[in-house]
Amino acid sequence: MTLLRAHPNTLVAVALCACVILAVRSDPAWTDTAVLTGIDTLIALSAGLSFGQAGILSMAQGAFAALGAYAAALAAIRLGLPGAAGLALALAVPAAIGYALARALIRLSPLATALATLALGSLVDIVLRGWESLTGGYIGLAGIPGLGLINTPLGYLLLVCAMLCISVFGYENLMHSRHGRALNVIRHDRARARADGVDVNAVLSTALALSAAMAGSAGWVYAHYISYLGPDSLTTNTSIAALLTAVIGGAGYILGPVFGTVLFEALQRFLPAQEAQGLFYGGALVVILLVARQGLLGLAATSWRGRRRLRPVQAPASAAV
Amino acid sequence: MLVAQGIRKRFGGVLALDGVDVAIQPGQVSGLIGRNGSGKSTLFNCISGFLKPSAGQVRVDGRDISAYPPERIVACGVARTFQTPRVEPRATVGDAILCGFYTKGRSNWLSALAGLPRAVREERRLREAAFLLLERLGLAEFAHVEIGKLSMGRVRLVEVGRCLAAGSRFLLLDEPAAGLTREEQSVLAEQIRRVAADGAGVLLVEHNFDLIRALCRDVTVLDEGRVLYAGASAEVARDPRVVAAYLGTAAA
Repeated sequence: MTLLRAHPNTLVAVALCACVILAVRSDPAWTDTAVLTGIDTLIALSAGLSFGQAGILSMAQGAFAALGAYAAALAAIRLGLPGAAGLALALAVPAAIGYALARALIRLSPLATALATLALGSLVDIVLRGWESLTGGYIGLAGIPGLGLINTPLGYLLLVCAMLCISVFGYENLMHSRHGRALNVIRHDRARARADGVDVNAVLSTALALSAAMAGSAGWVYAHYISYLGPDSLTTNTSIAALLTAVIGGAGYILGPVFGTVLFEALQRFLPAQEAQGLFYGGALVVILLVARQGLLGLAATSWRGRRRLRPVQAPASAAV
Repeated sequence: MLVAQGIRKRFGGVLALDGVDVAIQPGQVSGLIGRNGSGKSTLFNCISGFLKPSAGQVRVDGRDISAYPPERIVACGVARTFQTPRVEPRATVGDAILCGFYTKGRSNWLSALAGLPRAVREERRLREAAFLLLERLGLAEFAHVEIGKLSMGRVRLVEVGRCLAAGSRFLLLDEPAAGLTREEQSVLAEQIRRVAADGAGVLLVEHNFDLIRALCRDVTVLDEGRVLYAGASAEVARDPRVVAAYLGTAAA
């Protein structure tokens, strides 16, 4: 019971996943959409962790996903390793690169750090295109084997949902630990965090590594599900879309990126013109930043708190901190 | 014992501190006064590691900490507050105090992520400790209140609490009584007295002479980066140099 009460976000994620699975399981086209949405959601969640909690405006989340995807695909194709080993690589490779990048650059201003992550995205792109003997260059890697037992669209949907719920669970645990609190203090005021005894560089680097690993795990499913990987599969556009949906949903809230992504995928389905979508993305971002800096979940939370304030004042609860 | 010796700090052509000595004894409150720009905050920053002194040494129980980064100095038991409280107004009082317990936690990232029993137990322990501290400070009923909604007096008390949370043996308090009502000042003074009675050494920057006289046996007066007077707080107002440099201008 305490486990359930301590994890409201995980509960919502599990409920959402269950609803989606029940709703789309008999329709292959919708199942496919749901799997891809789930992958995008994982990447957006990773952007929520790096930007919403740690305050690192990372434009490399797509690159981290690509690194994870290529690591898994190469492990499967070239080395014949099983999917689990691929997952371990898809977590470790982006995490190591994210950690090293943050260690080297985090002392810079936030804007410089953002540009550095953007540069990492370009660098990964150049290497993927240029290192033909390893990555297949422009042609990419085809024939990535599926994941054994779960090699059906519904199987992948269950897998993505499980990964999403586990990620939300870990994210929620983290935010209720001293490390999560330290991240929030750092985002607000680095000097304050140092006065609390927090090693700012180490904590931020670890946070970016975790976020990169989360994106890498999304890349792992992507590679096995699509079975083809090219330099255009997961790019800086992926990073920007992930950031955008995270901000629109509410990057500071654990589930903000989840709602943001689901909302956007739904709109994409129902909006008529493909060409008008960029316009819509940009417009939505401007509107959100003008009326709800905390995103849609932030807007909901504020209006809910506002309504509560109208009720008679309750005695402050003092039973627990 | 915390000893700062011959601290010198140069900003370009300006010598902000010119060989300042100051000591904090366990169980005692020492005062640090001086006009604006006399170097009090610079000295604080040099001791707490936010600035590196150009020359001189800071030692805690004989260990030289002058080259340490701030977070390592906190780990050595030296905590500080800021003149302008650096708090997130939307965080609750309970959360802010919990942030001060950072160095008290041992759980690593992975056990926190996985929600291992070890991490859960530690979190519960920290929360209990935080609640006890809030009760001690008389802030328990505000545990769930956002800091932005508190009076300045309570905000400063939360800041002092956040320092205490780290279990620090030496506290550097930068004008904790500024902007407080008389009532709030007496609550704060009582807390500082208790902290010292529990064995911590306190260095108190303050403009309020009454508070200094009430709390501190010793006081150091800074003027233009130098120690103008160091000695008993009861006699500081009779020292002609201090009167000229500090009280004289304040009274004019």
